[in-house]
Amino acid sequence: MTTWSSTGDRRPPSIARIAMYTVLIALSLIVLVPIVWAVLSSFKTQAELAARPPTPLPGSFAPTNYTEALRTFDFGVYLRNSVIVTVAATALTLVINTMAAYGLAKYNFRGRNLLFLVTLGTIMIPLQVILISVYEVAADLGLVNSLWGLIIPPAATPTGVFLLRQYMLGLPDELIEASRIDGAGEFRTFARIIVPLCAPPLAVLAIFSVIWRWNDFLWPLIISQDQDRYTLPVALAQFDGQLVVPFNYILAMSVVSMIPVIVIFLVLQRHITRGIAGTGLR
Amino acid sequence: MNITLAPYLFVLPNMLIFGIFTIWPAINNVTISMYDSTNGRTFTYAGTGNYTELVNSADFWAAARATVIFASCFVVLCTAAAVGLALLLDARLRGRGVFRAIVFLPVLLSPVVVGLIWGWIFDRRNGLANTLLGADIPWLVDGRLAMAVVIFVGLWTHLGFYALIILAGLQGIDPNHHAAAMIDGASAWQRFRYVTLPLLRPTTLVVIILSMIAGFQAFDFIWTLTGGGPVGATTLMVQYIYQNAFQSPIRYGLAAAGSVILFCTLFGLTLLNVLNDRRHA
Repeated sequence: MTTWSSTGDRRPPSIARIAMYTVLIALSLIVLVPIVWAVLSSFKTQAELAARPPTPLPGSFAPTNYTEALRTFDFGVYLRNSVIVTVAATALTLVINTMAAYGLAKYNFRGRNLLFLVTLGTIMIPLQVILISVYEVAADLGLVNSLWGLIIPPAATPTGVFLLRQYMLGLPDELIEASRIDGAGEFRTFARIIVPLCAPPLAVLAIFSVIWRWNDFLWPLIISQDQDRYTLPVALAQFDGQLVVPFNYILAMSVVSMIPVIVIFLVLQRHITRGIAGTGLR
Repeated sequence: MNITLAPYLFVLPNMLIFGIFTIWPAINNVTISMYDSTNGRTFTYAGTGNYTELVNSADFWAAARATVIFASCFVVLCTAAAVGLALLLDARLRGRGVFRAIVFLPVLLSPVVVGLIWGWIFDRRNGLANTLLGADIPWLVDGRLAMAVVIFVGLWTHLGFYALIILAGLQGIDPNHHAAAMIDGASAWQRFRYVTLPLLRPTTLVVIILSMIAGFQAFDFIWTLTGGGPVGATTLMVQYIYQNAFQSPIRYGLAAAGSVILFCTLFGLTLLNVLNDRRHA
């Protein structure tokens, strides 16, 4: 920050630029401080957490809270449930969304436009406004307290279908024609020719799906009623403030829940921002 | 697989799940709202009884009021702040990429964890907020302050997402418009007011609609931040519905009726926004 010779425009710092930096740095602090504070505090003992004023740094960085939370409580089970649901639901989302997008993008059939409109319409019907009736359906199908109940219903994301369809519309029809002339069946054409070409939007959808499912709360909260079916967010919400689980363990497990998304974020940040910018919002 | 049947088979799995878990429940919700049940198994016909009961219930109006307060503050602050932040992130500054990344980070975190951490930071006794301020502010004990905290945490969570959408819109504006305005001697403020803002209209509309829908459905981070307290001051509509449906005393029909009202409100507001935009465009 000491040299102001950025590439492109070489200008001395003006009042406006200093003001802009000040605002951006202040905002960055507001974002980062709570996260850093939580990570630091996740190493503190119960006594250190209760101190007034709180100690800035923990006495030691021994991962006691992490190991003890996993050993004394069932956090290993909740973590496993979260991983299973996230991986399975993401895989299912990718498969059924790609198939649906292909059907809608590359075929002319009766009812195609209606189906596409219905898909867009479901964006307007979030779970929150049909909570009770969706729960009824899940209960009738025996999906309550089953991980399948957390995997299947959220898998058909309208956003994913929309994103993939937009991309496929840009792929030349000649590819499909050529494959058919070569004698490949419809499904083989789709799997061998189209799917490999859709790697960029599939990567974006995979990232988003992992983040959505990993952080899901309201649906798992009503479906996972038995403790051994809890996902990590449900467990954290249920134990927070109940004094069943000491707060230092809750903090440690909260940090664990942040690790995958922060890793994904650091590695794939470009894809994510491009994905949001390019979801056809213009 | 033959060519006429193929597309139907391709769309089938996805449409089946939509049908079973979204479209059918959306229709069935209206039916459930006309019945009442205290256990979710036996239903008695209630007609419009649930709706009359809601309209006469103080709890329902409290939740409705809290939802409107939260959602309106959320939409206005989100849209204004997102435009401001997007302009900053679009400016040619060093470390722009890093700032963009940091601003977007909260969007990825679990709302449950976000609420939990902020709730602990705003703890009156030894939370980080009061420690840094050297004050004894009853953040989550006073109803109005708690609502302010909930709005702040909502912004903290979502602002990066909306700022990124606006940023995409900014980058879609043809720079020639600005060049022309510069030649005409327009000041920076005039260029923003008469060139950037009008051209951003479609993008800001998207942000207004998305933030409105998010604002009316806020639930998860509030659940761990305040639990809807103090004394129901931050209990919004989705939490009200959830409590009626899944916490005793269970009132299924009442919850479903609340859902129908929430859905109609959202649908109506979205339609109004779109029509209003058409009128101006």
